Amino acid sequence: MTVLSDERPSQAITVLLVEDDAPTSWRLQDALAKAGFQVTAAATLAEARACLTGSGPRVLLTDLQLPDGHGVELIRETRERFPDTEIMVISILGDEESVISAITVGATGYLLKDAFPTDIAATVHELVAGHSPISASIARFIVRRTQNNPERASGPPLNTAKLTPREIDILWGIAKGFSYAEIAGHLGMSRQTVPGHIKSIYRKLEVHTRGEAVFEALQQGLIRL
Amino acid sequence: MTEAAAKPGLAGARRWRSRASASRLVQYILLQALIVIVCIFALRQPASEPPSRYLVTTFSLKDNGAERSVTLPDFVASRSSMNDPALYTGSFAWPDGEPQRAWSVYLPRFTNGVEVAVNDVVILDSRRDPAANRPDRNTPEIAVIPASLLRDGPNHLAVRLFVWGPISGFLDRIYVGPDEMLRPYYDQRSLLFVTLPVVFSAWQAILAVILAIMWTMRRHEPAYGVLAAAMALGVVQAFLPTPLDQSPYSQLSAVLIASAPLESGFVLAFAVLFFGQKWPRYGPLIFVPGLLLVVIGLFGDRTLVRESFVFLGVPTVGLYLLLLALIVARSVLKRQDVASLLLGCAVTIVLTCWVHDLLSVLQVMHDRRIFVTRLSYSAMLVAIGAGLTWRFARALNQVDSFAGRMVVLVREAEDKLKASFAREEERARAAALARERTRLMRDLHDGLGGQLVSIVALSERGDASAPIGEAARAALKDLRLVIDSMDDIGGDLMLALGSWRERAMAQLRPHDIALDWRVVTPQGLPVHPELRPWHVIQIVRLLDEALTNAVKHADARRIAVSIETLTDASGLGQGCITVEDDGKGFALAPDGGTPTLGQKAARGLRNMRSRAARCGAELELVSGAGGTRVRLKLPHHFPDTDAAAG
Repeated sequence: MTVLSDERPSQAITVLLVEDDAPTSWRLQDALAKAGFQVTAAATLAEARACLTGSGPRVLLTDLQLPDGHGVELIRETRERFPDTEIMVISILGDEESVISAITVGATGYLLKDAFPTDIAATVHELVAGHSPISASIARFIVRRTQNNPERASGPPLNTAKLTPREIDILWGIAKGFSYAEIAGHLGMSRQTVPGHIKSIYRKLEVHTRGEAVFEALQQGLIRL
Repeated sequence: MTEAAAKPGLAGARRWRSRASASRLVQYILLQALIVIVCIFALRQPASEPPSRYLVTTFSLKDNGAERSVTLPDFVASRSSMNDPALYTGSFAWPDGEPQRAWSVYLPRFTNGVEVAVNDVVILDSRRDPAANRPDRNTPEIAVIPASLLRDGPNHLAVRLFVWGPISGFLDRIYVGPDEMLRPYYDQRSLLFVTLPVVFSAWQAILAVILAIMWTMRRHEPAYGVLAAAMALGVVQAFLPTPLDQSPYSQLSAVLIASAPLESGFVLAFAVLFFGQKWPRYGPLIFVPGLLLVVIGLFGDRTLVRESFVFLGVPTVGLYLLLLALIVARSVLKRQDVASLLLGCAVTIVLTCWVHDLLSVLQVMHDRRIFVTRLSYSAMLVAIGAGLTWRFARALNQVDSFAGRMVVLVREAEDKLKASFAREEERARAAALARERTRLMRDLHDGLGGQLVSIVALSERGDASAPIGEAARAALKDLRLVIDSMDDIGGDLMLALGSWRERAMAQLRPHDIALDWRVVTPQGLPVHPELRPWHVIQIVRLLDEALTNAVKHADARRIAVSIETLTDASGLGQGCITVEDDGKGFALAPDGGTPTLGQKAARGLRNMRSRAARCGAELELVSGAGGTRVRLKLPHHFPDTDAAAG
């Protein structure tokens, strides 16, 4: 466990970074610390849990594949104990398999491991400001789930029943590469409201009940990853 | 070696089979012989007759001008005219003390007609009885003698015997006695020789109707139609009286009565069709004798008809019976079914009776001239009816078991189909997987592989300034592209371009190059259902190359990507993607080469051309001092195979 306790204002945003690959972890820590975040790094699930004993961090950034367990468990626990913590998954590819499974347990965004330092910091800032990032491929995945027969679809299970037609329109726009401004223009809304919609989409895709069959299937699917 | 071993086995089987069929033949012949013996035994049984004290035996016969004393039964020679009947005269005694009881004259059998007179008063003329006029029926006659005619003591009895046709006249014994004593014997004979044939004719009529219906419903089985014709003919002729005088229909009824050869011809044809399966080439010859008789009946006179019937018709019937027996015997041996066995036995009975009648007509056998062929024909009718019913029941059973078997067969076929479908599906899946693997390998080799090798090479140089990070980032980018392209985008290239825009923006951000993204037409690009992942990869890589050229070689500050659908003259939409930069551009040599560019950039341009060609797209490169414009016109239909890939 490495704690970077730079001289930062007490109101600095606290970030718990869980990443087992040391160089990647350093890189992310550097990028975040330079942007003024107060970063606590953990390399395993156990270390991360130890860090969560007191009050929760403002932001949790976690990898999914950890030496002693799966990041999804950490996301779910954090989501239950600290509902105000913003959770982001760190992914190499930003593929729907890992991102969607993280979203269904409570994550509201993802971060590519090779993103440029400025982008890393910007993404976390936006997240704290309530703007969840979403990629075209993730949007495409969700939109297709709203159309397709779920039995035929591959990838993690996803319940899209709660999404409104407007939210689906927004996802379509993102999937086709339109910017937030363009989407807002097309749909007759303010550009600022689009990120809020995306966060709302993420929240709707979250699976809350532990006993839900979807959750069990998800767990089993993840164990096989 | 194996052949030599197999041959004795085969021969053995054949020998065993022939032995089995020989034993069946012997069994069948023995059975028929038994039937013949039983028939002869039955025919030899004398018919019961009234007490002999009522018998009148001694007659004086006046025939052909000659007079002699005869004892009945008696034959007279046949003649063609009815004008000079043989006259039998005799007498019987009417005892005293019998006034209350009516007396009758009973004639059990005669051919062909009789006129009975007691004390010179005619009391019976059999020619008025249509049934009695058929010589093939053994019609008895009885007549009550009016009491007023009877005298005490001897009474005079005269019998005129009319003979027509080629067969000789016959008069059986005559009984004269109390009616109550004689009538039971008359009734017995009448039941056997008059009523029973009517019953059988009715049965034959029913058979005719059933067979006709059967044939109507099953036109491909003419056997039933032929048999129906035989039955119908039999019924019609049975109810027709022998024509004795000229009437408009006499010719026709003569023809019909003489139809037995035609009828037997039909029955034979039925047997050939029914058992022999194949209609022989000479088959129509069967009907020649019958039709000949018809012609004679229509145009010849009555005597000729009768003569030809006896000399042509009767032998024909016998011959056909014999042929029928052979055909049925063969069928019994081959098929071993109940229908042919029944018919075989019936034919034997009829044949035996026919021989009996022939011997009787020829007076070879001294009996009482009872003709039994017609009567025995009913055995055949019974056999036909039974055989038909048996066949019908068996067909019903077959339908039942067929339905059951069909269910099983359909289920089996279904299972087989399912299995083969699953196998086929599995094979198709495996093939698709193999194709996908090949494609993936090629894609990874094209991009990621090369980049990783480049990273290895750069890191080995130990040069801190080596652009390892750039190469690694490119490798990651390519990996994302390959993964992204495998996603099903349903032919909407816009979805692939959406992801590309994100990556392009991430790529351009560190260089401070602005990306101007414009979707000109509202729907973007037309949807191509035939779009495959490898098309997407080629197009995205092509766009990547354009972008990389703009960033690395053109020093562009702004890159504009516009996406639109062009509508050509025929109204078809054509997708078009344009990448434009404001860099310094390059000059294209007349041969399409790029002399002013570095080797790397030149290779990039070549790659772009080849990628466009593989997708069937049109690439347009315009470069000048104001920048470079890459215009990619998508095909109307993406090619199925990656032919250009080699």
